[in-house]
Amino acid sequence: MNTRLLMTLRVTVAAPQNIAGVPHGTRRTVPITGGDFDGPWLRGSVLPGGSGDWLLLRADGVLELDFRATLRTDDGALISMRSFGLRHGPPEVMEALARGEAVEPAAYYFRTTPRFETSHPKYAFLNRRIAVATGDRRAEGPVYTIHELH
Amino acid sequence: MNARPLMRLRFTTAPVEEIGLTPHGTLSIFPITGGSFEGERLRGTVLGGADWVTAAADGTRELDLRVTLETDDGALIHMTFTGVRDDANHYFRTLPRFETAAPKYAFLNRLLAVGVGEGHRDGPIHTIEEIL
Repeated sequence: MNTRLLMTLRVTVAAPQNIAGVPHGTRRTVPITGGDFDGPWLRGSVLPGGSGDWLLLRADGVLELDFRATLRTDDGALISMRSFGLRHGPPEVMEALARGEAVEPAAYYFRTTPRFETSHPKYAFLNRRIAVATGDRRAEGPVYTIHELH
Repeated sequence: MNARPLMRLRFTTAPVEEIGLTPHGTLSIFPITGGSFEGERLRGTVLGGADWVTAAADGTRELDLRVTLETDDGALIHMTFTGVRDDANHYFRTLPRFETAAPKYAFLNRLLAVGVGEGHRDGPIHTIEEIL
């Protein structure tokens, strides 16, 4: 797999909304209140409106992530980002994460697959790229290291 | 990013169904009539499915595929992918996902994967790796 670094994205989150038991599992929505991103070609901030992570804990213990965020670059372009992801690991690790404790990212699987949409010509290359990310769930919010797939 | 090989997947396709220009772009549906897949952990045949391909105004095609795989020991695997195909830039990449009820293959439910596609006259070939 040939990849190159696209950006590091840090988001801050508000208290989760526990929807709880739904037909497909346990649903929790985490509002995103802001954040920032930077990489070799783009940098900027995360807009709070319309940004969040819709989580579904499945019966097999795997957490499915449906992340959406609006990014604004430092030169004013808006980029819509969506990514599907998975998070799972040993029960003790997942419990420590749930308590907001610091956990070494290598101790669990936290991977996502971002896609981007923008109308800005400078960033139109993002429309045509597949990306993969590794996540690090910190107490203040997740940090994603996003690589584009060549 | 670390990855490890999951499978090499070949599809055979039937003639394309051209739906034409829709509100999202030009939609073409490629029926998948069969095929095969093999990797260290699984191998078998493709039962069928299709790829819904929407060509955008910038010339790139968005892929939306659904197929059923059957392993050589009889398990059924529901596979989907979305992807991007941009022949002008030799870019053909996908994000496969899998669902199965077979305990032996339950690891597929828990992984994310990426695929590199190659167009061939008798159907595309996808080299799929698990994201570690």
